Amino acid sequence: MRRLAIALMALTLATPAMADCPLDLGRGTGWVVFSDHYMIAFRPDPVRIEVGEPFALILNVCTKGGNPAELVAVEAQMPEHRHSMNYKAAVVAGPNGRYRAEGLVFHMPGRWEISFDVRAGEESERLSHDIIVK
Amino acid sequence: MIRLLLALVLAATAAGASAQSLLDWTDEEVGSIGRHGPWPPPPVRDPSNRVSGTSAGILLGEHLFNEPRLSGDGGMSCATCHQAGRDWSDGLAKAQGAVELDRRTPSLWNVGYGHWFGWDGAGDSLWAQSIRPLLDPREMNGGTERIGALLRNDRVFACGYEKAFGGKPGNDDERLLVDAAKALAAFQATFVSPRTPFDDFRDALLAGDRDGAARYPLSAQRGLRLFIGAANCNACHFGPRFTNGEFGDVGIPFFVRPGEVDSGRLGGLERLAASPFNLLGKFNDDTTGEAARRTRHVRRLHSNFGEFRVPGLRQVGRGGPYMHNGSVATLEDVVKHYSEVNPDRLHSDGVPLVRPLALSSEQSADLVAFLRSLDADVPPRPAAAALCP
Repeated sequence: MRRLAIALMALTLATPAMADCPLDLGRGTGWVVFSDHYMIAFRPDPVRIEVGEPFALILNVCTKGGNPAELVAVEAQMPEHRHSMNYKAAVVAGPNGRYRAEGLVFHMPGRWEISFDVRAGEESERLSHDIIVK
Repeated sequence: MIRLLLALVLAATAAGASAQSLLDWTDEEVGSIGRHGPWPPPPVRDPSNRVSGTSAGILLGEHLFNEPRLSGDGGMSCATCHQAGRDWSDGLAKAQGAVELDRRTPSLWNVGYGHWFGWDGAGDSLWAQSIRPLLDPREMNGGTERIGALLRNDRVFACGYEKAFGGKPGNDDERLLVDAAKALAAFQATFVSPRTPFDDFRDALLAGDRDGAARYPLSAQRGLRLFIGAANCNACHFGPRFTNGEFGDVGIPFFVRPGEVDSGRLGGLERLAASPFNLLGKFNDDTTGEAARRTRHVRRLHSNFGEFRVPGLRQVGRGGPYMHNGSVATLEDVVKHYSEVNPDRLHSDGVPLVRPLALSSEQSADLVAFLRSLDADVPPRPAAAALCP
């Protein structure tokens, strides 16, 4: 029992970022994307993305190393046709540590690649995720 | 026994006939077809317009729509170009105001369901868009003061205004201009096109009613298969109105005269930003901010040059000439344009959305048959009720 408690404590101390990084947004209708350094969990609002209809993304951004992470920008394009959205998403940091990217519109059916520019200190990275809308 | 055999033979024959007149649609195709309905959608309610959907606002709008005193010379109303008997357009290649314009008069069918208005989307609400021709010296040239004075001084219009807006018309002419436009928009939003043969087919197909679906002509079915498949028309002509409401460059020449271009959406976005009537301004009745969402986030892109609004396709076969500048005479010519469009003109980096389809004559005829199945006869409009009896 004592050994189990020590192991749990060691795990918690070793992965503070994991412990502080709620990934609940990625459950159900949401997604989680990873890189070597970052984790992003997000879901759309409204839950179903409709072609031509504005929507927002609600996001949590974390580093695996436990450093504070910042969401800088959210963009989307259709890789097949190499065109972006006709709208520019605005990213706003919420009081609960979550971000809200507002003003996205996927104006055509098909595969859209959402890209997330994230930063932790001097390090920045772009993560991406594909969504197919019909 | 003989009667049973006869019945079986008849049933088999009927089933064979049904199978012959219905293509073998895949689940994915049925899903794509389903997204072009249901029709009609629920009535429009525009939160930026406080008289949208109200009977008094719609009635005031109908009278204003047909009122030539809104124009500078007293000879032109909205209905001069947007004629009910011509599917809310005029049948001309170029709109004719005080002068001939560079673009075609767009049909107003289903206009209330849009989110950008005008060929270049310079209007972000139907009421803001309705102000432009009222004031444009090339069109009605009405002038803000003239419209304010009409609502204030004409007994019937003043009464109709009070019924619609809940107060007498005041002395703020700009406010009265906007209110007149809001009533005009409320009226135009009632122009919902009737159900079509395509809608009956779509509903039957989704309900699994093969006999009902089989009544839709085979040629139209083959055209529909092209439309949602190889031709990829539904990338832009998406949804129940057959438009995604956005903008595209489909290879129509930019030049309106030697040395002069129509920049389309690029110029439209400039005019939108400069307009005191856009949804970011003080005339928006929506206090939630929701109605202005697109206007807040829309951005200008180099690719907007030469783009024009993707028109809805309901009632398309009853209109024409086609394209934003009326340069294509018939529906057959439209299909020919997409079959033979010059890819060098379109400058696409990726897989082009518009490319020469190289259709056979049979495929072209099928596509036209499908497009014509989006047409419906329109019942005659009753005369407008009196504004203030």
